Amino acid sequence: MNALEARGIHKRYGGLAALADVDLTVKNGQFVAVIGPNGAGKSTLLNVLTGLAMPDEGQVLLAGQAITRMATNKRIRAGLGRTFQHGRVFARLSVLENVMTGAAIRGRLSESDLRDFSMEIIEQMGLADVAHEAIMSLSYGRRRMVELSRALACRPHVLLLDEPAAGLNSGEVDQLIDRLAELRAMHGLAVVLIEHNMGMVMRLAERIFVLNFGCKIAEGTPAEIQADPAVLSAYLGEGYAHAVV
Amino acid sequence: MAMRIPLQIATAIIVLGGISGMVLPEYHLRLLNLSLISAVAVIGLNFAFGYAGLISLGHAAFVGMGGYGLAILTTTCGWSPWLAAPVAIAATAISAGLIGYPLLRLRGHYLALATLGLNVSFYIVTSNWIAMTGGTNGIARIPGLALGSFSFSGEHQFLWLALMVLALIAAAAAALHKSRLGREMIAVRDDEIASEMTGIDTTRIKIEAFVLSAICAAVAGCLFALHMRFVAPEDFTYAHSITYLAMLIVGGEGTIVGAVLGAVLLTFLPEWLRFLGTAYLFFFGLLVLGILVFLPTGLVGLGQRLSRRSAKTPLLASARAPEATS
Repeated sequence: MNALEARGIHKRYGGLAALADVDLTVKNGQFVAVIGPNGAGKSTLLNVLTGLAMPDEGQVLLAGQAITRMATNKRIRAGLGRTFQHGRVFARLSVLENVMTGAAIRGRLSESDLRDFSMEIIEQMGLADVAHEAIMSLSYGRRRMVELSRALACRPHVLLLDEPAAGLNSGEVDQLIDRLAELRAMHGLAVVLIEHNMGMVMRLAERIFVLNFGCKIAEGTPAEIQADPAVLSAYLGEGYAHAVV
Repeated sequence: MAMRIPLQIATAIIVLGGISGMVLPEYHLRLLNLSLISAVAVIGLNFAFGYAGLISLGHAAFVGMGGYGLAILTTTCGWSPWLAAPVAIAATAISAGLIGYPLLRLRGHYLALATLGLNVSFYIVTSNWIAMTGGTNGIARIPGLALGSFSFSGEHQFLWLALMVLALIAAAAAALHKSRLGREMIAVRDDEIASEMTGIDTTRIKIEAFVLSAICAAVAGCLFALHMRFVAPEDFTYAHSITYLAMLIVGGEGTIVGAVLGAVLLTFLPEWLRFLGTAYLFFFGLLVLGILVFLPTGLVGLGQRLSRRSAKTPLLASARAPEATS
């Protein structure tokens, strides 16, 4: 069974087709990347998958269950997790409290159990030293790690990451790549990554979907995508193939 | 450990209020009692506005529902105030839930306008439903509260009742601040989309915040009716709702200590400015405006700033603790 599936998704904003007949399949534990130029419809696709936007046509299935019209918070309870392009944290809560809000969705844990579980995740993410700090006192990169910790605290089966490397320096990106690989191995997560950092995409993704003007123009392994003339023309550029070679 | 801050706040309220009760003259004692009643209402508003970010300009309507509920049940039905008060509070909570469900689909200015409309409607209904509410004449002869032979009818006696209720509400609010529900309310205010993405049912949280807010308002309304022994539509107009909001913002929204400070300050301020004669309203407005402009985090925010510079006093420590992350 697929962990997450989108079938024939259409989404229009007025006269603009943001998504036109887009399919996406993510197997259990698979690392998938969605790439494409700005405005290709990548974030719209994540919005449709998470219920922030309703598709005009098409179906979304999570572990085989149709969730197309399900409220966002119910999708999260059903096993989806997501982070945002610009990092959305709860500014008036501490790091620990941010993560505890995510941990709280699973059953009726006591406050001490919630705290312990959240601290485990915070430690895994290397944030133990700032667990009790006000979130806005953290650097941008660490705030994004808090957001990721909060998403993990919801114990998702499928994690959707919207440009997690945006705004991070090269050292932080390397750390993020290592951390994502570890987390995936540790939690058996399926991951959908939207990213412009091709180094990160090619290192982590097992399968890549390419969008352009709301349409899927290619799908394949990193090697296949790097050699696909349509992808090179629309997004990566002819120079990319030469650089890789 | 989890109850340390709520207990500190409750103790501080009872000790400070008790000392004030011993030194204040009768008239100022009456003002203190009114300020404590307002503080209960403002703590309620803090749930809706300070925590969950719901701009309510109809809070006085819920105060009125509690007050009128108690007044009608005690005078028309002849119930004991001890029985009438919980029934009036429960009825207000149910009304808030029913009103909140459609109303809280609105956001920002629209929600503010809708709640303002609710308050205006409440005024119109209470002014015109003469058979039930007495119209603009209001309802008089509300019986006082008594515990055995002890009556809470005098200002001194009522002070202890008001202090106990305020301490209880403030302690409960402080405990809630650090609870799962408190975190969820704050999360909804900080970022509604991220809250949904964290599995929080934002509609449910907003309704819960609104109902909690109305419960505190109804408690304040019951206290008001028991204190004044009289309720009338003019006691619960939209102007009162705006005053509650001003009290919260001046004290420090999102904070329990701020809610209490704001209520006490804005109740006594007109009295302190009485020497200005008819010009007092101008200075009162100017002062409130000054606080809003120069102290956007209210008096508690100022206290936090000052306490960072100097050693923490126990009062400031207790004031800061619940708002440490705000």
